[in-house]
Amino acid sequence: MSFITIKKETIKGSILFLSIILISFFSGKQFLQMHKKDIIIQGPGISSKVKLSVYFPLLKGTPGDTDVYVFKGKEEGGNLLILGGTHPNEPAGFLTAIILIENIHVDKGKVFIIPQANHSGFTHNDPHEGNPQRFPIQTPEGIRWFRYGSRLTNPVHQWPDPVLYVNPSGQKLSGAESRNLNRCYPGKAKGNLTERIAFGITNLIKKEQIDLAIDLHEAAPEYPVINAIVFHENSAELAALVYMELQMEGFEFRLEASPKNLRGLSHREWGDTTKVKAILLESANASHGRLKGKPSVALIIDGKDKNYVKASRIGRLFVPFDEKGIPLKVRVGRHVAAIKAFLSNLQEVELGKGIDITNFPSAREIIEHGTGIYLEPPK
Amino acid sequence: MSEVLIVIFMVFVFALLAMVLKLPIGVSLAFSAVAGAIAGGEGIALRHLVEGSFGYFDTILIIVSAMIFMRVLLVTGTLDTITAILLKTFYKRKFSLLLTVMVLIMFPGMITGSSTTAVLTTGALVAPVLMKMGLPKVKTAAFIAMGGILGMIAPPVNILVMIMGGGVDMPYVGLTLPLLIIVIPLAIIISLWIGYRDIKIIDYTQMQLILPKSYTKKYGFALFLPLFTVFILMLGESLSIPLMPKLGIPAIFLLGSLVGLFCGRPFNFFKVTQEAAKEAMPILSILVGVGMFIQIMTLTGGRGWLVMSFLSLPPVFLYLGIAMSMPLFGAVSAFGSASILGVPFILALINKNAIITSSALSAIAGLGDLMPPTALAGIFAAQVVKEKNYFKVLRYCLIPALFELSMGIIILLLAPILDKFI
Repeated sequence: MSFITIKKETIKGSILFLSIILISFFSGKQFLQMHKKDIIIQGPGISSKVKLSVYFPLLKGTPGDTDVYVFKGKEEGGNLLILGGTHPNEPAGFLTAIILIENIHVDKGKVFIIPQANHSGFTHNDPHEGNPQRFPIQTPEGIRWFRYGSRLTNPVHQWPDPVLYVNPSGQKLSGAESRNLNRCYPGKAKGNLTERIAFGITNLIKKEQIDLAIDLHEAAPEYPVINAIVFHENSAELAALVYMELQMEGFEFRLEASPKNLRGLSHREWGDTTKVKAILLESANASHGRLKGKPSVALIIDGKDKNYVKASRIGRLFVPFDEKGIPLKVRVGRHVAAIKAFLSNLQEVELGKGIDITNFPSAREIIEHGTGIYLEPPK
Repeated sequence: MSEVLIVIFMVFVFALLAMVLKLPIGVSLAFSAVAGAIAGGEGIALRHLVEGSFGYFDTILIIVSAMIFMRVLLVTGTLDTITAILLKTFYKRKFSLLLTVMVLIMFPGMITGSSTTAVLTTGALVAPVLMKMGLPKVKTAAFIAMGGILGMIAPPVNILVMIMGGGVDMPYVGLTLPLLIIVIPLAIIISLWIGYRDIKIIDYTQMQLILPKSYTKKYGFALFLPLFTVFILMLGESLSIPLMPKLGIPAIFLLGSLVGLFCGRPFNFFKVTQEAAKEAMPILSILVGVGMFIQIMTLTGGRGWLVMSFLSLPPVFLYLGIAMSMPLFGAVSAFGSASILGVPFILALINKNAIITSSALSAIAGLGDLMPPTALAGIFAAQVVKEKNYFKVLRYCLIPALFELSMGIIILLLAPILDKFI
């Protein structure tokens, strides 16, 4: 009798074990897909590509090390840093950075672009969000695919989360925020992986004497700081000039001063700990909101969502949202327009710090024809 | 199939499997998630099922390690010894017994922000005392469960507020007073409501009869070292004391358990871990199943539909929506409720003080830990007192939960007045 019981249990156990092996194998293959890097094609204007670890060697060989694309003009001028992919589930940020990398020529000054600031965050998705792993962009000569990652560093690379996270600026946050790059500034040399990435970026700003740094983001349409230019008080004048220029061009933005009591964010800590003019741009992305309907590639690209239309009608949103949605091309176009406005006004507030860029993508063309027209064909 | 129909279909499949075919809850949830994915045109959606199941990975590790720790306290004799000490101190003081025990239960929740941790540590320590003093076991479990939830929302660490604050850029500052205004009256009212009628004042002779064996003479202070280790390390985590290692709660419990090997009655560590894991398995499978269920619900658009349904309630029903949806969504997890519903509700009440609003909402969201099928506080409290049917425990939690819910709603309504004093 006991022999039969043991045998039954063994059979059950073996079936369970085999099932786990099979599930792990097939799902594991899918998860590992997220570790396949996005192809970013080096445009003709690039002077060099370095790693962030050049600015903080402890990052070398870690999943936090990421590419920095450098564009040097022939003439001396100002220095600009553009950051995309701080939050890999905010595609307009890193897609804008990639479009600039593949197109611009710098004639005066120096431009540094980091398209995937939290490189680790691109290697996984957030549980319970049901997001796609990748989304396609149609270029004139084929489709290119990009990862849609997570807001946070991959727990495989940084784990466990503390009960309470006290960031390098002393702000208390929930434990998971220890993996949010935009809560870890100015970073910590001996901190966790995310704090070390933040430390590397802050070091870059200091060593390269960056004059203007722009962190590209997206926010859920129900979030109050949306379609916004968030500025540190040291760049208030510049932000105001940019705001007026964008308004004249027909782009509605909000001007938001960086709150002094909200610590660890790029626009606050960059401005406080370095001499840089710190800016953060937000566009409205329905695909990472809490009210979103079915998550899909279409939601990321077309930005249409009936839940958000309803939420807009009942006054729950901070941005207009109708049946046309807010497509990725519009969100990228807004970022491009804002960056261009910052460049054209930098010289006004910082004499001798002008940056001249040719072949700068047109925001209007992106909005009209899509982001693909400024992307190299797939290789 | 529309998202509404998919949600209904998933609930139907779950009910069929769990109630008619009597499959375990976790398995029923997993299969209803698969059914939902197929109905939503996503196929089996293997990646999503696995991804969803990992949503509670950290919680699962906390539960397993806490269960091991609790069992170590039992086998080393620490539990009996502490029961004896508390009985000797409080056998003729009903009021102070109830309040002291409530504070003791709340303490681990206050420093970790987790009701499970509170229920499985000090909750397990004080349960025998309450039962020996006359409180029926299901009421004892209800007392512990409510203590755990109050500990979770009490300062200094309230993860629910932190999650909501993160969504609206509100720093975790200035919350101690509003949280204490909510928690202190509730702690007094709830402990008296559940315990005052049943706890008996006894004389010295009666106390001697029910007194368990104390091991302090044999093992001395060493007996308390596992507890001491865990509390010191947890305090280090929550207060962020420099040079204190940040180990995470599971590692802290495991370290405490290993310390137990040298501090009391001898025991077989591997046997203890096996027994603890076996005991935890049903709730762990529920968490895995719920993780899959919520991922597929999100994937098929059901979560968005639910959130929008509550947010679309007319303004006069908004508070009703909050009172219903936040504890209900806690069936997924109280933290999930704070993130998915708490943030939109704070924004819907944006004309009020966000510190007061988020404090009140955290009290309401915390009740999610009583909501089946996860009902972490209720299930573990039942396990602590060896009650198999945790619904009996939830029955005694109903009125205290209504107290807490009412307090949350009153604070929300009075927010403009409180704003002037805080």
